[in-house]
Amino acid sequence: MRGKNEERARRAPSRTMLRRTLFLLSVCGIAAFAVLAARLYKLQIVDHERYESAAIEQQLRGTAISAARGTIYDRDGRILAMSASVDTIYLSPAEIERYGEDAEAIAAGLAEILELDYETVYAKTQNTSSWYEVVARKVEPEVAARVREFKGEGGYAGIKIETDTKRYYPYGSLAAHVIGFTGTDNTGLGGIEARYDSALSGEAGYALRSTTAAGTDMLYTNFEDYVDAEDGESLTLTIDAQIQYFVEKHLAQAVEDYDIQDGAAAICMEVDTGAILSMVSLGNFDLNDYQSISARAEAEIDAAAESEEERRELIAAEQQRQWRNKAISDTYEPGSTFKIITLAMALEEGVVDESSSFYCGGALNVIGRGTPVKCWKHGGHGSQTLTQAVQHSCNVAFVNIGLKVGEERFYDYAEAFGFLERTGDPDAQLTAKTGIDLGGESGSIWWSENVFCDDENFSQLAAASFGQTFNITPLQLVTAVSACVNGGYLMRPHLVERVTGPEGEIISETGAEAVRQVISEETSAKVCSILEQVVGDPNEGTGRNAYVAGYRIGGKTGTSTKTTEEIAGNKEYIVSFIGVAPADDPQIALLVLLDNPSSESGIYISGGQMAAPVVGKMMADILPALGVEPQYTDSELTAMDRAVPNLEGLSLDEARARLAESGLSCRVIGSGSAVSGQLPAANTVIASGSEIIVYAGAEPSADLEPVPELRGLSYETAREVLSYYGVYLRTDSSVTDAAGQVVSAQDIEPGELVEHGSVVTVTLVDADDSLLGEY
Amino acid sequence: MEYAGTRLARDEERAPARRAAFDVPFAALTLLLLTIGVVMVLSASYARAYYSADTNHNAAYYFMRQLGFAAAGTAAMLVLSRLPMAFYARMAFPALAASVALLAAVPLIGVSQGDAKRWIDLGFTTFQPSEIAKIAVILYFAALICRFRSRMRTFRYGIAPFAAVLLLIVGLLVLEPHFSAAIIILAIGAAMLFLGGARLYWFVGGTVLLGGALAVVMTFFPYASNRIASWLDPFSNTQGVGYQIIQSLYAIGSGGLFGLGLGHGRQKYLYLPEEHNDFIFAVVCEELGFVGACAILLLFALLIVRGYYLAMHMRDRFSFLVTAGITTLLAMQVILNVAVVTNLLPCTGISLPFFSYGGTALLIQMAEMGIILSASREIPAKT
Repeated sequence: MRGKNEERARRAPSRTMLRRTLFLLSVCGIAAFAVLAARLYKLQIVDHERYESAAIEQQLRGTAISAARGTIYDRDGRILAMSASVDTIYLSPAEIERYGEDAEAIAAGLAEILELDYETVYAKTQNTSSWYEVVARKVEPEVAARVREFKGEGGYAGIKIETDTKRYYPYGSLAAHVIGFTGTDNTGLGGIEARYDSALSGEAGYALRSTTAAGTDMLYTNFEDYVDAEDGESLTLTIDAQIQYFVEKHLAQAVEDYDIQDGAAAICMEVDTGAILSMVSLGNFDLNDYQSISARAEAEIDAAAESEEERRELIAAEQQRQWRNKAISDTYEPGSTFKIITLAMALEEGVVDESSSFYCGGALNVIGRGTPVKCWKHGGHGSQTLTQAVQHSCNVAFVNIGLKVGEERFYDYAEAFGFLERTGDPDAQLTAKTGIDLGGESGSIWWSENVFCDDENFSQLAAASFGQTFNITPLQLVTAVSACVNGGYLMRPHLVERVTGPEGEIISETGAEAVRQVISEETSAKVCSILEQVVGDPNEGTGRNAYVAGYRIGGKTGTSTKTTEEIAGNKEYIVSFIGVAPADDPQIALLVLLDNPSSESGIYISGGQMAAPVVGKMMADILPALGVEPQYTDSELTAMDRAVPNLEGLSLDEARARLAESGLSCRVIGSGSAVSGQLPAANTVIASGSEIIVYAGAEPSADLEPVPELRGLSYETAREVLSYYGVYLRTDSSVTDAAGQVVSAQDIEPGELVEHGSVVTVTLVDADDSLLGEY
Repeated sequence: MEYAGTRLARDEERAPARRAAFDVPFAALTLLLLTIGVVMVLSASYARAYYSADTNHNAAYYFMRQLGFAAAGTAAMLVLSRLPMAFYARMAFPALAASVALLAAVPLIGVSQGDAKRWIDLGFTTFQPSEIAKIAVILYFAALICRFRSRMRTFRYGIAPFAAVLLLIVGLLVLEPHFSAAIIILAIGAAMLFLGGARLYWFVGGTVLLGGALAVVMTFFPYASNRIASWLDPFSNTQGVGYQIIQSLYAIGSGGLFGLGLGHGRQKYLYLPEEHNDFIFAVVCEELGFVGACAILLLFALLIVRGYYLAMHMRDRFSFLVTAGITTLLAMQVILNVAVVTNLLPCTGISLPFFSYGGTALLIQMAEMGIILSASREIPAKT
């Protein structure tokens, strides 16, 4: 028994062992667990939110739901810009690797469908750490469908297709500078697209979902959040696509006819509201392909560039140039068109009236000016009434008018018309903008008050009176002239008429906003009637080339030398014309500005010879479109081009009578007694007095005739010359004096072969010697 | 050569005692933890299994295998609980010899996963010989301590032979390399010596020596120094080693007080690496929250306290040493694993007993519990 106890004691754990076990028990069984629990408390309770948000951030993957970009309409509801769904094709190289997909087959398939370089696509498949490698953006639906098919056939999880939107501009280059364009990420990069980007783009929505680290949806566990996209708002512009088209067409024609070197601009404003009906800057570009420069510019660059790098730079510079909205971004010295403003302020101040008379001896000395102010006409205009002074665009008379107004009042009016804004610093050069809702507007550059209002030096005042030595934008001039003719209100020019929501509900409307009244209604009416005399008076008006038969049009010419070029020793001009119509109650003001016409165009460089006929042609299209009814005088009806009646089947006598009724004569070929054919065809519009060829049994000859040179010939002579070839004439200008107006441009170049009965369209100008001058 | 085990065995043969029933609380805690663990393997692994081609996208793949090993483990535990302690004493040396042989064979026939070669492929599963080495060291040290008795206080007997065995095994583990197992075996060896009555100042010396060795390892193995750096600031290396610990912290922190609910964790969706192995506790924390995680830690603590309690009631030193040793091994694994997962310690691959997926490891853990239960039967029932 004792032995057994001893044995047991010998085998039993010693006291030290038990003590040490107790120690381990306290450490490993209790203390360590207390530490771990404390640690868990810190992580799970104290730092819970921090870790939770970090975890959620990595677990949630947001998919943007793109908002449909708003549509841009013209004021008649024509779509100028719209968005359509397209697809973005991208690869998930990580998944290609994960699922062991055939990267080479994927690259080859995509390269073929998307017309891409195989190596480029293959390189993207090899970036296996990436989940998102864009292969092609803005893929058309039919191409995307082929990609989808390819993806389905191969079961490629690594090919992804994402819906995106693409902007379409149905009218291509029409109103390009106004509308602007969007970049690859659908943000507006120019024009209205950029200015109203936030309204147009709407709010992108997003879908949040909990995903695995591989980007796929979690099983069973869903944590989702979905915010619907808010589609963009649509804009209705004040732009009238039809008017815009007319203005662009004639302006582009002018650029070609006169070989304009530095671009052209035109603005058509509704004078009572400040709404811009048309704004054109040339050269323009196709909004659907805004990166491409004109073929001509590209050819020039290709010829000039010596290296690929230089070529890229030149192309980039050309792109910037074509995107520049000349109508609001370039400033110029307006020249004589500004005389409208001087006239308005002088009438308003009562320093002149219709009975005032002005003497022009050809030059005038002005205090503070080293050389006398010269009138454009050598020898001067002699004694003139106020109306004649404007009709003649007489510089000397206008310096006198400006001096009568006085420098202080002139400066006040310049501010009231929106050409400058006082800052409180009389030594600072001043500037102002119209505040149009379009990006890229430049400000004017005006003399500081101290320089301009120096009563010992009137040279600035004198030059300003006829529109020189300060710079303004074309838009500022149109806005100010509109104020002169609309009853005296300076309107805020604007392009967006209405903002509508996705459901068509109206969100905001821009009405007419009068900044201030500058002159009285009476003064405004006087200005209108004088301006009408500039265009409407066939004997004294320097603006007579803008005349449109049947319409009352007022206007003023402008020819200015480019001062910066003049300093550099070059003689470069900006010729312009601003027209208002109808002159008795103006609806629109239309400015055309041609920057640097080539001296080789054969046409005298002046606003009256170059810009005025363009405005006339535009007015002839715009006014009927605006619903203004023409009121023709008898002589206008006689001189006007007319449609050829249908003579088919008539007897020769009947045909002769019908033609005489229409103011046309005829030549009969053949010996039949009835009309078997006619040239030109019925309803062709040709010049009054043209000789129709009537076939009586004979067949028209199929010969081609070369078009002769018509430029420089009078309308009447040109008609007769063409008649010799069996070719006909018409004009897009108004015929006021068929014997006096000469052809300045023809749509079919001399030497081109045309069929008998073809019609050559010409532009007419009144090129009376008295009209040749820089005014 | 005669060693402790044989004498014990002879004692048993001489007086076949009536063996008591095994300790029910210990067995119950073990099975409770195992059950929770297997359920957690299902929750933690189904996403990985579903997305993986290796498992043929079978979401229950890991769970089914773990369930099978759990059943086998439970059977092993019950069988081993019936074997007498004398058997284990006899098995001590063969077990050690076998594990040394297996460890030596690993570089020759082992399979690699990542940079390390730690596994031997058995065809239907792979296993780590280091798992066997752990229990072998416990058994062998217990047997040797019983044999040396009072001589344990000398260097020649109390330290040298043990150190030699440890050096051999640790050397082989470092070759793999398998630092976590080396550390555990060193620690369990030290614990055995501590329990066996070795003089305390040896431990001071040992700690200094170990510190030096660690410094050397850290200098020459960039693998180890990287881990230390990302332990100190896991966010300094969010893509590399730090990624794992950051994901673990996200999971644990997301849990909050009550967790996202069983099965509703999100970090297991391929964010958290090793989510059903070494980092399964992070999933537990995420899904069951602070309350659930503490409850599980409490179960572990109870099991461990119960193990030490049983050890203290053993009537013979071998049973005492084996029970306390296995309990300490279990405690160290749990504590180190949770400490790593919560970034209290640098990242090493230590699995969580009963929870981490891994067939043979689970089997061996259950076997170890069976040995404790066998030892518990040596305690005479209170009458």
